[in-house]
Amino acid sequence: MATKNAIEDVAHNEKSRLSGEMQSLGKICNIEHKMCSNSGESSNGGLDPEPPSIPKRRQELLKWNGWGYKDSKFFVNKDGHVEFTGERYRISGSTMPGLRDWMTKTIGISLDQKTPSQPEISAANIPLPVKNESFVADLRKTSISNSDDCQDRLFRAHGHTLHEIFLLREGKFDRIPDLVIWPASHDEVVKVVELACKHNVVVIPFGGGTSVSNALECPLEEKRMIVSLDTSQMNRILWVDEKNMTMRAECGIIGQDLERKLAERGLCTGHEPDSMEFSSLGGWVATRASGMKKNIYGNIEDLLVHVKMVTPRGVMEKNCQVPRMSCGPDIHHFILGSEGTLGVVTEVTLKVRPLPPCKKYGSIVFPDFECGVKCMREVAKQRCAPASIRLMDNEQFQFGHALKVESKSILTNFLDGLKKLYITKLKGFDPMKLAVATLLFEGTKEEVAAKEKRVYEIAAMFRGIPGGADNGERGYMLTFVIAYLRDIAFDYYVVAESFETSVPWDRCLDLCQNVKERLHRECKDNGIQFPPYITCRVTQTYDSGACVYFYFAFNYRGISNPVHLYEHIETCGREEILANGGSISHHHGVGKIRKQWLRKTIGDIGLGTLQAVKQYIDPNNIFGNNNLMIGQNFGGVVQQEAANVLLPSKL
Amino acid sequence: MAEQSRNSWISKDDPKLVSSRQKDMFEDILEERKLNSDLRYCFKTRDEPKFKLNKARTPAQIKEHVLNSDRVQYAIEQACMETKLPKSDVTAEACAILDEMAHNLRMGAVRSFAFGLIKIFKALYQRIYVNVDGIQKIRGMVKEYPILLMPSHRSYMDFLLMSYVFYHYDLPLPVIAAAMDFLGMQFVGWLLRNSGAFYIRRSFGDDHLYWAVFTEYVQTQICNGDAPIEFYVEGTRSRTSKSYTPKFGMLSAALEPYFKSHIPDIMVVPVSISYDRILEESLYAYELLGVPKPKESTSGLLKARKILEEDFGNIHIYFGEPISIRKYSEGLVDRSLHNLAPRYIASLTNQEQDLIKKLGHHMILTHQKHMVVSPWSMMAAVLMQSQGGISLRQLAKEVEWVKRQASNMGAYIDWPASESAETVLRANIKLHHNIVRVAEDDVVELVRVAPPAHAKATDALMITAGQHLMLSLYRNHILHVFVRPAMIAISVNTCNEEKLTLDDLYNKYSFLEQLLSKDFVFVPGHTKDDFELSLRTLTHTSGVVLEENEVVIGKSTNKLTTFYSQMFEPFLLGYWILCQYLLSNHPSVAGKPLAKTQKILVKEAQMMTARLLQEGVVKHYEVLSLDMMNNGLHALYHMGGVSKERRDGSVYMYPNTRQLSNITDQLAKFIDVPRLPSVSINLHSKTVTVNAKL
Repeated sequence: MATKNAIEDVAHNEKSRLSGEMQSLGKICNIEHKMCSNSGESSNGGLDPEPPSIPKRRQELLKWNGWGYKDSKFFVNKDGHVEFTGERYRISGSTMPGLRDWMTKTIGISLDQKTPSQPEISAANIPLPVKNESFVADLRKTSISNSDDCQDRLFRAHGHTLHEIFLLREGKFDRIPDLVIWPASHDEVVKVVELACKHNVVVIPFGGGTSVSNALECPLEEKRMIVSLDTSQMNRILWVDEKNMTMRAECGIIGQDLERKLAERGLCTGHEPDSMEFSSLGGWVATRASGMKKNIYGNIEDLLVHVKMVTPRGVMEKNCQVPRMSCGPDIHHFILGSEGTLGVVTEVTLKVRPLPPCKKYGSIVFPDFECGVKCMREVAKQRCAPASIRLMDNEQFQFGHALKVESKSILTNFLDGLKKLYITKLKGFDPMKLAVATLLFEGTKEEVAAKEKRVYEIAAMFRGIPGGADNGERGYMLTFVIAYLRDIAFDYYVVAESFETSVPWDRCLDLCQNVKERLHRECKDNGIQFPPYITCRVTQTYDSGACVYFYFAFNYRGISNPVHLYEHIETCGREEILANGGSISHHHGVGKIRKQWLRKTIGDIGLGTLQAVKQYIDPNNIFGNNNLMIGQNFGGVVQQEAANVLLPSKL
Repeated sequence: MAEQSRNSWISKDDPKLVSSRQKDMFEDILEERKLNSDLRYCFKTRDEPKFKLNKARTPAQIKEHVLNSDRVQYAIEQACMETKLPKSDVTAEACAILDEMAHNLRMGAVRSFAFGLIKIFKALYQRIYVNVDGIQKIRGMVKEYPILLMPSHRSYMDFLLMSYVFYHYDLPLPVIAAAMDFLGMQFVGWLLRNSGAFYIRRSFGDDHLYWAVFTEYVQTQICNGDAPIEFYVEGTRSRTSKSYTPKFGMLSAALEPYFKSHIPDIMVVPVSISYDRILEESLYAYELLGVPKPKESTSGLLKARKILEEDFGNIHIYFGEPISIRKYSEGLVDRSLHNLAPRYIASLTNQEQDLIKKLGHHMILTHQKHMVVSPWSMMAAVLMQSQGGISLRQLAKEVEWVKRQASNMGAYIDWPASESAETVLRANIKLHHNIVRVAEDDVVELVRVAPPAHAKATDALMITAGQHLMLSLYRNHILHVFVRPAMIAISVNTCNEEKLTLDDLYNKYSFLEQLLSKDFVFVPGHTKDDFELSLRTLTHTSGVVLEENEVVIGKSTNKLTTFYSQMFEPFLLGYWILCQYLLSNHPSVAGKPLAKTQKILVKEAQMMTARLLQEGVVKHYEVLSLDMMNNGLHALYHMGGVSKERRDGSVYMYPNTRQLSNITDQLAKFIDVPRLPSVSINLHSKTVTVNAKL
């Protein structure tokens, strides 16, 4: 019964046109039957034995004022060492003996100077919901799950920018969603959007809530009712098609679930953004996400075969799932990166690949960052990049080193000592200058071996020497752990954030140097008394350029408004990035935090085009989250200056 | 123990006993050298701060980098396509350019160089003052930023001094953009090269390969912060002791790495070097008259060594506030405009070129602001206006008065507080004994001395003019202090009405500014601000009386305005004579005035002036200055009074009669113009014929 239901559901969603073909495809498999159950409150399609890994009441599992699971966090144990709790991660239950010293030395943390978070924000400090009674009445008729509980609403009022987390820890929100709705299927989304249009209610889609662009922030001046459309209950894989190596899933499925379930069938999408534990498929599409292993699997736009988006005008989708077509501008590109301004992504078809049999970490030690960048460039040129290759600067390498878990084995410690001796004494690398590239190889054993050989050969051309798998793995750990680390930093007067960009190769090195330099300079000029922690890594390579990722943290003891100051300095950093030929964002998106540079980035005509699309699809601004092109004044004068650059030089 | 009764806190109560080793913000760096061993000094270990992003390189590695750079490789490629020469030939040419250009800074050479310098400095100068706080700032900057040093340029001594000061304070020695002149000197050329001089051609117009090598050579050293880079924004030594208008080629090349985001920032340091007495004074004076400067040669240098017996007084070196180019350009340039092409190909944007112009002018004005005004330059200003001689006491009175005015204008005046005015004056007259002397009845007068050997001037007129021009050099040193209020004063003084509206006054002011814009430095677009500030200054010093937005002429013509007017009269008179020459003594062909090169125009105008001087029609000898004529001609060109055209690659000029007549008429309102006899000039026979006697 349930199976049939689900099949009908799919068939219906695909407007029946696929069903005939699907049955003829022997290997198409509807895996819904594995996960059917009835959770009671879901009205339809939620017949799922395995509940979504993230519950509707997210706060029961996840921190309300920080990153990740409640059970997982750093803390200073009774010996005064930093330890990680829980059992979810490899470092859970371990102490990192180097970390405390690193924190005190590098950013001037003092263990006696704490700034704990405020206790949970109580109902009294949460704004009352705006109620559009007729909408609520119509919604009630549909029996689509919803809630106006203040904690539910608060949880969906923010992403994870420094500003938002700091507000949770220290302040309050003036505008949050008025209602949370959990549609369980595409059809329910269609219904919700219809009702929203009918009653002029704002819809802000919410996926994993890991945004770092203020995209989820509710516009303060919005007087209409705001509905947060939480997609977390739409988490089914609808089908897997091994003939075409594609799979279709609902938008709310989160990265780790998707990969785990595909792995049961020996497959994967290979899309692994650093937030994959929490971020959702729909969110990836709506923000133009990028995965760590994009060198093999591609970024989200490369993986995307088909997507369905519910807009105020109706459902936007293509009628076929072809590898490529020449049919005017690709409408997928209106959806990719639309950041919830045009509609809700409901279903997505992605490419899948067989799970790689072999997976291997590695690392290369370079005498300095410049050699490393040159090597990365060469690897990109020869198009032999492994699944992932990242170059950490010296500061980040040292940081990674501080994260080393306590080793119980004397042998390991001995070997580490030998390795260090070899690199610093025999090779003459300055430990305060060297840079480390971390590598992740995937494929068959032979492929991995061949690629390893080639990459290490190129590295040798740039004085790079293999640094072992451990260093590599720890480098990747850093990226997952960094968000948890920020929470403990908060406890000790430190504000921290990351930001990223993409840049052509010829400007990569200058950009890294100049942006770091600019941040240091601004810290000094703004009276920050402790040395800031500023580090970068070249985190992705492309044919014509790279993606650069910055971490920036400072100790704000003695400063009255740290977030404001942080934002000012990050703004300076972004200005510097743009002046250095970098972009507004490689994968975090624009949201509201980077809107000020959108016009400059895409020009008046570009911005006007986006606004025209918005005007057609959503004339009443139902998807009024105020991201991207929304609300930007149009009609500026076209800049004359730009033509200048194209003049031939004196050469 | 007679001192017992006195306050034990005071150790020297006689001001004469207090040395002037330290003075305001300055300290003398020469005295300790006079007391200690030079040899040990030259071998002292140096603890130089280094730029933090620097990667140590040898001069040879710098050259290698330049040759392999994208920019030079691209230029070579382009040159191959243009000239159809094989790549190896063009590359060889690039190598040759580089070899000619590159410095070879080596510590060994620097030490022996320093040894020699000290000997020379000790012989020539009493004290070399440096503002220590400026040095401290630079010390702090060296680690953090690439540094551009932009000294004022009034003597060859400038760059020796700069290197010496940096050596003295354990700062990294600057590399210096020098003109090719020295390269001809054996040994000296080599020594300078090894002490950090690199040589650039004075003009390389369309030579793209040269431009590329030069640009890359400068830029790579800035990006890597190998050493502070020193160059002269005025382009060449000022022969007149006035600031020259800024040149922008080198400045653009040096700042481009910031605009193209190769580096986070560059610090620009203006340096003002003021001399009590300029080494080249008589050379300059005769050069201004048209006697070419002797070619630099080592033997010439040796011959000049008797100069070591002379006293050249003090030097003041003031390091101005370093300017961060990033902060200076904030909001004014958009560096991302360079994102769309490889950085070695695209040129600078208009925004950036405007900014460079602004900065160049700013540098010159900063130089002027920090120039130290010596008593002698004020004396010169008075003496220039009292050609018949003046008594020492009267001179002292006048100088005292000028001093007060200059100080009100914000000039820094170097006046020993513990001496009487007369002592100061006499000391300065002694220092400049080759120009003036005190005659028996305490009258100060110009002396007649033989011109330098190379000048071959026998003409009495030339000799007198030489003395006058030498004196004018020192007066010129303070003209920048007065020029803006003077333009108001002149307008007021020559007004025939009872009242003058501010609008009319401003119009007159801007006209004068245009005329004077090559002889003096004005920031383009700042006319109104300058005008208002100067007017305020003048009203506050009660030179000018305003009533209901009108100047009351009667009350406003007083000593102050008269003094200012007279100070600048020679310039206006010079321009007027130039105009007259262009208008009435210029042959035309079928109505179109004959075009001549600038050189000939200027020379002929000078010949006419000479004749007028001989006839006694004009009295200001400095009008003979070719520099003044050149500047006038340029200003006229910018005002539309003269046109240019290119013939055979060189520039020919001719007057635009109508426009020029207008300018001349307007100009005549500002000065008492003499009645001119009609003269005709023949350059080839070097004769000026006066057709009708007055």
